[in-house]
Amino acid sequence: MPLDRKIAYIDLTTGDIQIKPIPLDVRKKFLGGRGLDAYLLYNHTEKGCDPLSPKNTLMISGGILTATCASATARTHVMAKSPLTGLLGSANMGGFFAPEMAWAGFHHLVIKGKAKHPVYIYIHNGEIEIRDARDIWGKSITDSQWALREDLGDQEVKSLVCGPAGENLVRFANVMTGIKNAGGRSGMGCVMGSKNLKAVSVRGTMDIKIARPKEALEYNKRFIDQIVSAKVNQTQGALGTPFIWGATNSWGGIRCRNFQYNQCEYADDIEPERIDEICEETMGPYHMTGCFGCQVHCRAQYKIPEGPYAGVYDEGPEYTSQGAFGGETDTPRAVTVLTGNHLVDKFGMDNLETGSLISWAMELYELGIITSKETDGLDLRFGNDDAVIEMIDRICYRKGWLGDTLADGGIPASEKIGKNSFDYLIQVKGMSNLHSDERATPGLALNIATGSRGSDHLRSRPAIDLYHLPEEVLRKIYGNPVPYDGPLSSEHTEYIGKPWQVFWQENCYMGVDCLGICKYHTTFLGATLPNFEDWSKVILYNTGLEMTPEEIWDVAVRCNMIERLFNLREGLTREDLKKGDMLNHRYFDEPCRRGAIDVVGKKIDKEKFIKMVDEFYEHKGLDKNGVPTPERLKKLGLDKEPSHLM
Amino acid sequence: MAIEKEGLSTAESLRKTRTYGKFRCHNPTCMERIQPEKGKKTAKCPTCGMEYRVHWVNPNLPRIRGPVWDVNRKLAEAKLKEMGVK
Repeated sequence: MPLDRKIAYIDLTTGDIQIKPIPLDVRKKFLGGRGLDAYLLYNHTEKGCDPLSPKNTLMISGGILTATCASATARTHVMAKSPLTGLLGSANMGGFFAPEMAWAGFHHLVIKGKAKHPVYIYIHNGEIEIRDARDIWGKSITDSQWALREDLGDQEVKSLVCGPAGENLVRFANVMTGIKNAGGRSGMGCVMGSKNLKAVSVRGTMDIKIARPKEALEYNKRFIDQIVSAKVNQTQGALGTPFIWGATNSWGGIRCRNFQYNQCEYADDIEPERIDEICEETMGPYHMTGCFGCQVHCRAQYKIPEGPYAGVYDEGPEYTSQGAFGGETDTPRAVTVLTGNHLVDKFGMDNLETGSLISWAMELYELGIITSKETDGLDLRFGNDDAVIEMIDRICYRKGWLGDTLADGGIPASEKIGKNSFDYLIQVKGMSNLHSDERATPGLALNIATGSRGSDHLRSRPAIDLYHLPEEVLRKIYGNPVPYDGPLSSEHTEYIGKPWQVFWQENCYMGVDCLGICKYHTTFLGATLPNFEDWSKVILYNTGLEMTPEEIWDVAVRCNMIERLFNLREGLTREDLKKGDMLNHRYFDEPCRRGAIDVVGKKIDKEKFIKMVDEFYEHKGLDKNGVPTPERLKKLGLDKEPSHLM
Repeated sequence: MAIEKEGLSTAESLRKTRTYGKFRCHNPTCMERIQPEKGKKTAKCPTCGMEYRVHWVNPNLPRIRGPVWDVNRKLAEAKLKEMGVK
């Protein structure tokens, strides 16, 4: 049964390994994946601990449905205290790692301490050992994975690794599996590097018994039909996630030149259709591939068509790389995007943070806040493709003053640079924004301001609000599984109704992260895709666990609350520009200058924004300061945390 | 099988609301449904005047590739001027 998968506690300092079952009552409260990781983080990490110290605890997990008959249960989740933000660190990636870990007998790993020298953890059919990784340290993401397969003599081994960026303690280093599956936000690769943990390798052949196999398969058939018939997934299967950047750039919802423009004009060369042409030219017509158990196949394969890296193979680019190395830096050329994407994949570094910090530095350079002295002579003006590529390398290897400074993340860098550099840093809670610009979309602005791991599109973004759905459709979505008869709005420049829409999405995203399913299989980009009601059946048929849609909703609310408790414990306060639920002043002061006619001139109304935050807090059961009320904590069963049940 | 007797979930019931062969204007306060002529590479919103380049994912699934840049720029600059934004 999926519920018999275990949890392992691994101490890298002492070498002690303990394997335990996951109690059913804990499952019912937190399900698995990100939700249970949040509980473990709150219980196993000391208040105020240095994220790079042995005391920080690293969680690696699959969801409760991982490797079952459910669709797209490919996601691996990683959590620790973030070295980038000092708050919650959390990252989620596709690929094949978590299913292999489940077949090896485990759903959750809790890793503490620090090894004396580089090591990796090998997990195979219920057994765990810590092995020497000194020969692998220093290798790139893909080279590391091949070396681990060779070391273990098994080509089917799946490895989760940190790259050179993690080893060099770049505070936004990724953990990665495969060539491009990246747990790419909040610096989880940096935590691995700080522990001398190069990799976790898994190989398993332990069957997972499905509770009701026939019903599970039949329901999955319905689920898949719903997924593949959606227009959004047909588009993703043809063009990959770059279509998201393309659509957003079309109306003026992306950042260009850091935050000066909200549209990258004449960007035809990095539009998804052009990227797709390059993929086809270099890899042939069947260049789309997918993660474990997924039918969407949103991942493109390509070879860099020209330049110093011509002929090098990689996967993607995701929409985030288009934004990071094309739009934000105003270098809308495919070869730059594809090369930049390759380098961050090779180094194991967050493309979003990297591109954002480079574009921020470019604006500072053009304003004279930093000069060629700080750039070691590099011409860091917007539009300089070579400078973008050069800076990626400098950040990973901490080369030069600026590379080393940016590698520590935006807020420490702004403190080192001084002057008014912080005013230009587009971040929330110390994490750079996605390449998107939310000045015309208050609901999305609320989402990034209140995201638990910092500015974030994958924690509560009401993206379907951009589709102008009829109110009856919105009511069906946002009125389930708990009743809601307050205001809703499909007008994306509107403020009314958005707090509930963001709150609902926050719980939907948490739900899917607890199950271990990809967000493209839920109400993230597709209004007609499965959520709580469907999950209730999928959980029952696959695991035998009976949970109503309302109970799954409650789990999600509880898990989001424990993430909030962690952040509050580590210093979150409501309006703190560095650690709070607040946006950079430019959202309120500078109007959009490009995009569709009715986007031009838009900025966020601060008074209305504050009211939205108030209302969002009310839905969550928080007081005006963003602190949970005792009543809500009791209702969620969190009034005695940390409870140390595990 | 019990499952065959079950009705549609909310998500499944919304499937009938999907539309094919059309897209919505990207101008947020317009959002007019535009039905481009099959295979055609551009389309103009009859309501707000935005012009788009069109890509066909498959013969029944058009998407907006992006705005017609020159028209987009002209409209944006006119709006900025009207608002007095420099």
